[in-house]
Amino acid sequence: MSLTRRHMLTSTMGTVACAVALLAPKHSRGADEVEDFLFRVTGRKATPSNRLRLVMPAEFSTGYTVPMSISVDSPMTEADHVKSVRVFAPKNPLVEVAQFHFVPGRSLPRVSTRVRLAAPQHVVALAEMSNGNLLMAQAWVAVATNGCL
Amino acid sequence: MVPGSVPKNEVFTVKAIIQHQMETGLRTDSAGKTIPRKIINQFVCRYGGLEVFRTDLHEAVSANPFLEFQLLATENGRLEFSWREDGGATYSLYHDIVVT
Repeated sequence: MSLTRRHMLTSTMGTVACAVALLAPKHSRGADEVEDFLFRVTGRKATPSNRLRLVMPAEFSTGYTVPMSISVDSPMTEADHVKSVRVFAPKNPLVEVAQFHFVPGRSLPRVSTRVRLAAPQHVVALAEMSNGNLLMAQAWVAVATNGCL
Repeated sequence: MVPGSVPKNEVFTVKAIIQHQMETGLRTDSAGKTIPRKIINQFVCRYGGLEVFRTDLHEAVSANPFLEFQLLATENGRLEFSWREDGGATYSLYHDIVVT
């Protein structure tokens, strides 16, 4: 195989693209960073948990109406239930999105809505359980056009 | 949107939407003046007079705020929905549910 100028160019571009990808912020932001964010906003420590699920599209065309679904595994009894779930968008000019309050024996800890995202970001959900525990989950959303707030 | 009748102790889904601009207070008009914030800041659902679901909404909730949530069919009764706007105005709607 002979190395042509074209070969050199394409392979160099590939290397540059890889380097840019490495320099770009990682999609999988460390749990530490999210915990720090939540601690700054709420003053409390939260634990990452699979019991809390925040479901959002990884890519979405518009930042004006991004669908969001939340659910928590919970028996919803007086002794063991979800009190509320708060949602934050750390890259929005105003980070608070919504807080959903549930009632044991009456509602299920599941909700869907649509939100505005001003930039691609990790959206963060924080569930407060009846025993005082705070659970957290995050979802990466890349919006193609940013939703102005 | 609420089902007309639900078997007792079954879960049913409620979908609620209100037409509203959800003006965030962060935008400016053509003269450069800030457009004042006017959003729906709270949604409450009562079932038989009892609060069963509540949402505090902030600026990041989309225009025409939509909520889908799930309740347990405990008894025949009235589902009341109310949306509270900045400034205190409220918009309400109700729907009677039959539990079989």
